[in-house]
Amino acid sequence: MSEPTENKRTSGDFLEVLERFGYRWQARLEHSGLPRMSDLPQGTTVLAFHFKEGIIVAGDRRATAGNAIMYERCDKVIPIDDYSLMAIAGVPATAFEMARVLSHNFEFFRRSQLQSMSAEGKVRSLSRLLKENVGNALQGLGAVSPIFATFDLRLKKPLIYFYDMLGAEFQIQTHTATGSGSPMIRGILEHEDLWGPRPLAERSRDEAAQLAIRLLQTAAQFDSATGQARPKDKIYPIIALITQNGYQFVPDDEMSGLFERSMSRDR
Amino acid sequence: MFEEPFRWMEAISTRHSYVREKLSKGQPVLGVPFDEGALLMSFTPQPGKVFEIYDRIAIGGLGHPADVERLRMTLLEMAHVEGFNRSAQDVTLSRLLQFGIAPALKQNFEEVQRAPYLIQLILAEISPDNRIQFFRLNYDGYWEMFKKGTVAAGNDAVREWIQKEIEKTPFETYSLEQALETACRIWEQGKKEGRSKEEKETESESPSRPESLKEAFETWTLEAAVLSRTATRKALFRHLTAEEIDRARAALVK
Repeated sequence: MSEPTENKRTSGDFLEVLERFGYRWQARLEHSGLPRMSDLPQGTTVLAFHFKEGIIVAGDRRATAGNAIMYERCDKVIPIDDYSLMAIAGVPATAFEMARVLSHNFEFFRRSQLQSMSAEGKVRSLSRLLKENVGNALQGLGAVSPIFATFDLRLKKPLIYFYDMLGAEFQIQTHTATGSGSPMIRGILEHEDLWGPRPLAERSRDEAAQLAIRLLQTAAQFDSATGQARPKDKIYPIIALITQNGYQFVPDDEMSGLFERSMSRDR
Repeated sequence: MFEEPFRWMEAISTRHSYVREKLSKGQPVLGVPFDEGALLMSFTPQPGKVFEIYDRIAIGGLGHPADVERLRMTLLEMAHVEGFNRSAQDVTLSRLLQFGIAPALKQNFEEVQRAPYLIQLILAEISPDNRIQFFRLNYDGYWEMFKKGTVAAGNDAVREWIQKEIEKTPFETYSLEQALETACRIWEQGKKEGRSKEEKETESESPSRPESLKEAFETWTLEAAVLSRTATRKALFRHLTAEEIDRARAALVK
């Protein structure tokens, strides 16, 4: 900890504070040689869609590096604040750090400015981090393409955004998926929304969770970088919901029953 | 400038009395426990006495608003940088005070050319093992810990009286509602005690400040916030809602 500095800028921007304390987002990778991309853990399927009560965000649990499976219990849906979640696809080191910077950024803003950051401000903060990361992304290191989901307290409305690795943000009205397994399921999401028993936005919590589980299992069938659920080892996809009351994860003990039901055909 | 020891002593004591004089009108801020956490409360002409610092830390302060703001920002930055670099569990009040704020305030009397901080803070924390701690930080960087609650007040007599009263009251067994009402009553009584002492010492002009709870509720705002052990979120701080304040008002002002 250091002495307080004079002439503080009080814009409530945590990244600015971090930089004043000597933190550099870019510096670490600038002088390193280029590793092969396949040496870095990546590969994923994460998805989000609007359902009746809000937003569901789900992800598989596998982290891979090239054709090696590095980890089967990776949490790719990360809480940022009480109302926001980030689902990550890409290099975990960068993605987890972005999530940490973001969550501190939102909390620091709220506490220092004595008001919550607007939903738009939150969406832009992530965009800004991605832009600062462009150099790394283009070098083949640390590319991240996340989904950001939040509940807009002013509009009383849940919002989903996806980003490209350069920081462009796109708001989604229905559904989105990202990661190496996402091409396998985007068509299914669209099909379900248009011609399934009900549009996605009218489905209940259980129906939405069930669909998410099935989608992730499907992605795992075709994409080796997306992990299958392993009920014997208690490894299930991670599923979270955002409603007007904030985010909530589907607890482990509920997941086993939910998973079992999802794996049999609807009658 | 201060070659002679006497001059130095004189400079320091002038500085002390300058700060004291400036702080003497500072309105009391009380920090007390209740059965689910810690409560900070004060009556203020404008909001800005009770703040959230980190997940489990809150402060209340009096003094020059710009100085309160400077120290608040310092605490916020230190807490968040520490929480980011290490872990939220490493952000504790005793570390923030010992290594951050207290040395900064000690400058008040080391760099005599600089305008001193005009401030008195109380800080509350719920430790990771759910113990509640209160600290009082003086303008000179001196800080003390209190288990049963504490008070900051510009007027020494008021502060001492309220401190004694807080220590006599079993706040930790009270519900939030009870704790808030009792704290308000102590606030009112404290102001009376302070005034009667003042009158004995000096023939002071009639005070224009609110003297009773009734007046205080009419002209000022009751600002109150809690750190609650039962909060489900990571951040335990919340301001009391308008309804909760109204309920206290209804109970206290007949």
